[in-house]
Amino acid sequence: MARVRLDTVRKVYPNGFEAVHGASFEVQDGEFVVFVGPSGCGKSTLLRMIAGLEEITSGTLHIGDRVVNDLAPKDRDVAMVFQNYALYPHLTVYDNMAFGLKIRKFPKAEIDERVREAARILGVEQVLDRKPKLLSGGQRQRVAVGRAIVRKPEVFLFDEPLSNLDAKLRVQMRTEISRLHSQLGATMIYVTHDQVEAMTMGDRIVVLKDGEVQQIDTPLHLYDHPANQFVAGFIGSPAMNFLSGRIDGSGDALSFVADETALSVPLGASDASLLRAHAGQAITLGIRPEDLYVAGPTAPNGSATSRWTLDVVEPMGNEIVLYVSSGPHTAVARVAPQPIPEPGTDTDIDLALDTSKLHFFDQETEAALTETPTADLA
Amino acid sequence: MLEGKTTTAGLKVQQRTAAQSKTREARQRTLFLWGLLGPTVLIVLAVVAYPFVYNVVLSLSNMNIYHIRDWEVIGLQQYASVLTEPAVWVVFFKTVVWTLVNIVFHVGLGVWLAVILNKAFIVGKPAWRVLLILPWALPQYITALTWRGMFNYEYGAINLIGGVFGMDSIAWLTSPFEAFVAVILTNIWLGFPFMMVVALGGLQSIPGELYEAADVDGASEWTKFWKITAPLLRPVMIPAITLGIVWTFNNINVVWLVSNGGEPNDQTHILVSYVYEAAFSMYRFGWAAALSMVIFGILFLFTQVFLKKTNATEAAY
Repeated sequence: MARVRLDTVRKVYPNGFEAVHGASFEVQDGEFVVFVGPSGCGKSTLLRMIAGLEEITSGTLHIGDRVVNDLAPKDRDVAMVFQNYALYPHLTVYDNMAFGLKIRKFPKAEIDERVREAARILGVEQVLDRKPKLLSGGQRQRVAVGRAIVRKPEVFLFDEPLSNLDAKLRVQMRTEISRLHSQLGATMIYVTHDQVEAMTMGDRIVVLKDGEVQQIDTPLHLYDHPANQFVAGFIGSPAMNFLSGRIDGSGDALSFVADETALSVPLGASDASLLRAHAGQAITLGIRPEDLYVAGPTAPNGSATSRWTLDVVEPMGNEIVLYVSSGPHTAVARVAPQPIPEPGTDTDIDLALDTSKLHFFDQETEAALTETPTADLA
Repeated sequence: MLEGKTTTAGLKVQQRTAAQSKTREARQRTLFLWGLLGPTVLIVLAVVAYPFVYNVVLSLSNMNIYHIRDWEVIGLQQYASVLTEPAVWVVFFKTVVWTLVNIVFHVGLGVWLAVILNKAFIVGKPAWRVLLILPWALPQYITALTWRGMFNYEYGAINLIGGVFGMDSIAWLTSPFEAFVAVILTNIWLGFPFMMVVALGGLQSIPGELYEAADVDGASEWTKFWKITAPLLRPVMIPAITLGIVWTFNNINVVWLVSNGGEPNDQTHILVSYVYEAAFSMYRFGWAAALSMVIFGILFLFTQVFLKKTNATEAAY
């Protein structure tokens, strides 16, 4: 197994489009790192550069102790699982899995042993002599993973491998890949646009946008301490609520006042000390849907109550999702099951904001104002 | 009672009219369908079925220059005559060689060019494509006669260019072997673009991910061609090859025009040109018809066996 280290790796296409702007980070030996971001953010390009399928314009890429910039994919000792599986349609499952080993002239007995071992791990022993077209989506995915496993590469690369599966199978395969990771202990890099996959599978997540790395962190730290408004909005579902406004008041008695509404949130002491310098400036307040409560005894201590118009109510069984608005602002709240009034233009509801869970962002740079800088990069 | 009777009768009338309108509808529909099918059926009957049946009858007849009007059915004698004539077997052998050599070069050249044209580094692909399709797009007889001119011993471009490089002039059109080579060269030139176009279509349907997967697996260009490109081109190439074999086997134009009707001394023939000569130079209509039926039988049998053996109808993906 090996570490993967990127040092200001850039990708510029011949037409001048810069797909990746100087990415620098390190994937540890045996780590499961997820690249996540919206489509076109450069995550697949980054992965393909690591695989050797895309040339690196500048910067250096290490796999293990070697600089692999100019090595062909086959010499990088990586295995890749593709979005559309890339199974050879004219070969049986067995031959698909054995393909890479045959090319590398492994002895027949070893090929057989490795293929059967991988098939056993992935539960595709029964279909070894079938052609891919006779397999279900899930089975094809397993075979594609199997083809990577048999090679025993230093690094596994996954390019949105679950995006062609239906929702249920996706959840199942997600856990299987996670289990595989702990079983093999291999270095894995996984690309997805699905933040749920990123949160559930990754040891660490690399969030990308427009070819730039936004933040690299563990899932929970990313969730609790997003470095900027993009990360805050991208990670988490439903997305974080954002209210534009400004900091008002003086001394320790600071509060956030939303634009064009009576909405005002008094700041806690720690937020206040950090935001004092921004008093009077336009900033954005962020709060996650689960940090909004229906005002009343269940709301946590130290929450600020404000009045909203209740637009839509979505009862989910284990929780209720409320869509509310106030002037130009809209927000989503996830609250515990409880009696909720009928939504409508004249239905008001009092919501309590947990003031210990507030996020603040600079409106110009979108950078987080209160977050402590990224914790553990290691 | 009376009321009941009336009702029953009325019901019957109603049922009858309903049934009548139904049959009328069905009749109209049948008429409509025949209206659509009719022209095609007529044309097919006129230009395929009638000539075919007429040919079968001719093949069983003694029609020739002596019996143009008073011909009669004489049974299988013409077939016996065809199959026992040594010249037919020589021409048959030449036809097989002609077909095989042509197809090998058509497919080989076509696929090779298609693979190159499909590479990312080729600039001006549309222009190359048009240029390479030209031989096929021009009317065959123009190309054939042009090549005949180029094969001319004294003034032909091929001998002239060969001369520049110090090569001796070759008697292309006047010695049997060279004439046969000349018609084959002409037909290779005419036939490769079709295979190239088919192969290009086939190549474009092969997902690029397969090659990337093979790159990661460590496959060389050669391995990628034989393990991925070739097997995945098979489903499109097999029907094209079948067509190509039938077309080439029956390609009288090129042989006839380049060799000027089988010159020298009727040495440059394939079965169809031999049939043509028998019928329209020697007026052995019955005999030529019998040979035509033999050719039909050969090609029919070949296509059936070939398509079955190659599982041509099985989809790859």
